[in-house]
Amino acid sequence: MKSILILEDEPLIAMDLQFAFEDAGAHAVVTISCAEAFDALDRMEFDGAVLDMNLGLGETCEPVAIHLRKQRIPFLLHTGDLDRAGEALRDLEAPILAKPSGADHVVERLFGLEGQYERA
Amino acid sequence: MQRGEGDGERPTFEQAQQAGRAFDAETDNFSGASGLLFEQAMAQTRMAVCLTDPRLKDDPIVFCNKAFEKLTGYRQEDVIGRNCRFLQGPKTDQRQVAKIREAIRTEEVLVVELLNYRKDGSTFWNALHLGPIYDEKGELRYFFGSQWDVSDIHLARAEEKHAKAMAREVSHRLKNVFAVIGGIVNITGRAMDARSVTGKINERIQALGRAYEPTLDDAALGTIEVGQAIRSVLNPYDPENDRIVFVGNGARTEPNAVSAMGLTLHELATNASKYGALSNREGKITVSWHHEEDRHGRQSLVIDWKETGGPAIESPPDDTGTGFDIAERLLAYSRGTLDRIWEEDGLRAKISLPLRS
Repeated sequence: MKSILILEDEPLIAMDLQFAFEDAGAHAVVTISCAEAFDALDRMEFDGAVLDMNLGLGETCEPVAIHLRKQRIPFLLHTGDLDRAGEALRDLEAPILAKPSGADHVVERLFGLEGQYERA
Repeated sequence: MQRGEGDGERPTFEQAQQAGRAFDAETDNFSGASGLLFEQAMAQTRMAVCLTDPRLKDDPIVFCNKAFEKLTGYRQEDVIGRNCRFLQGPKTDQRQVAKIREAIRTEEVLVVELLNYRKDGSTFWNALHLGPIYDEKGELRYFFGSQWDVSDIHLARAEEKHAKAMAREVSHRLKNVFAVIGGIVNITGRAMDARSVTGKINERIQALGRAYEPTLDDAALGTIEVGQAIRSVLNPYDPENDRIVFVGNGARTEPNAVSAMGLTLHELATNASKYGALSNREGKITVSWHHEEDRHGRQSLVIDWKETGGPAIESPPDDTGTGFDIAERLLAYSRGTLDRIWEEDGLRAKISLPLRS
């Protein structure tokens, strides 16, 4: 079973994503801050991640994104504000999915990314 | 030189200088015809002007005109003999001041904008033009400074910036609200085992959200650009941007028309994905829009939808689903229509929406 990390501070979106991944036969762990995401990453292995760009109070998913890139774990940036995507995130060249997009679509896109590192 | 004779009695600017006192525009005069011109032009212009004498200690003001008094609130007697820096205050950008100092040092012409302070402490944005004036021997004689109040321009710029930031924030929040609504609908669909229904609801809600999204930027104008709304509604149906061709100018419509238009386009695109030009790998759709006048002289927004290259259509489908029924009824509330013709090579549709203005 695949394990997916979700970093999302909006409860309804997090719940919807978690259900969608479970429907697709994956195990999804929801975290709501970078600190929680790093804890989860220490505890277990993940096959992919969906990161909300803005986590409230000015926090962004940037540190987690940089870590995932180093660990070669595929991830999607999920955001309602493409303009505010920081320079560092743009430099990561991670695939960005604009909110709102259906949870099933997020699942589809993330699974489509898997294997990108094996191919490279 | 009729006037010159009478004025000859008055001390000239030069004489006033030599006598070691400030030039007084009321009683003194500049010498010669050009002096006369200068004097009268300075009195009449709305441009605030002052002259400083760099040969005196601390480059003091030796002349200012009425407009300068009016702009700064200082009287001539307040300013003559003082360096211009009394116009600066705590919020004056010292980088601009440094530029002024450098231009004076190198005797160059300079235009800067800086915040200045009036006598009563109020501020204004000053577009300061300054430059050296030389005598006939080519020696530096004065610095010329003209002040123009550009506070209105600064305010307009600041307001525009603020409005843009607000529009972006609202847009961001609106997208989040639509994302949350999508979450609620999906979760409810799962819980009630009605995912096929909630899936359809969500598609329509999200199409509506996309249709309204571009309206934020220019909703203040009262109308919105149709092309932006059409593109953002249809965007998800053409991820590679090679199946739908958009043909249109900057036609505008009322924001109220957006919901009917957005949902109708969504139904057309959904239909095309299932049965039409987007259901195979070759089909294309051309979407064009323009304003049209009907026989009663009323302006309408017309969107033409033309599918080609999809699976051949032998006969019009018997049942085109509830989607089109909803779209037609919605359009009717805006007194609009949806016409559909099933040609052999694909669907032709025409959305027509009357404009109220």
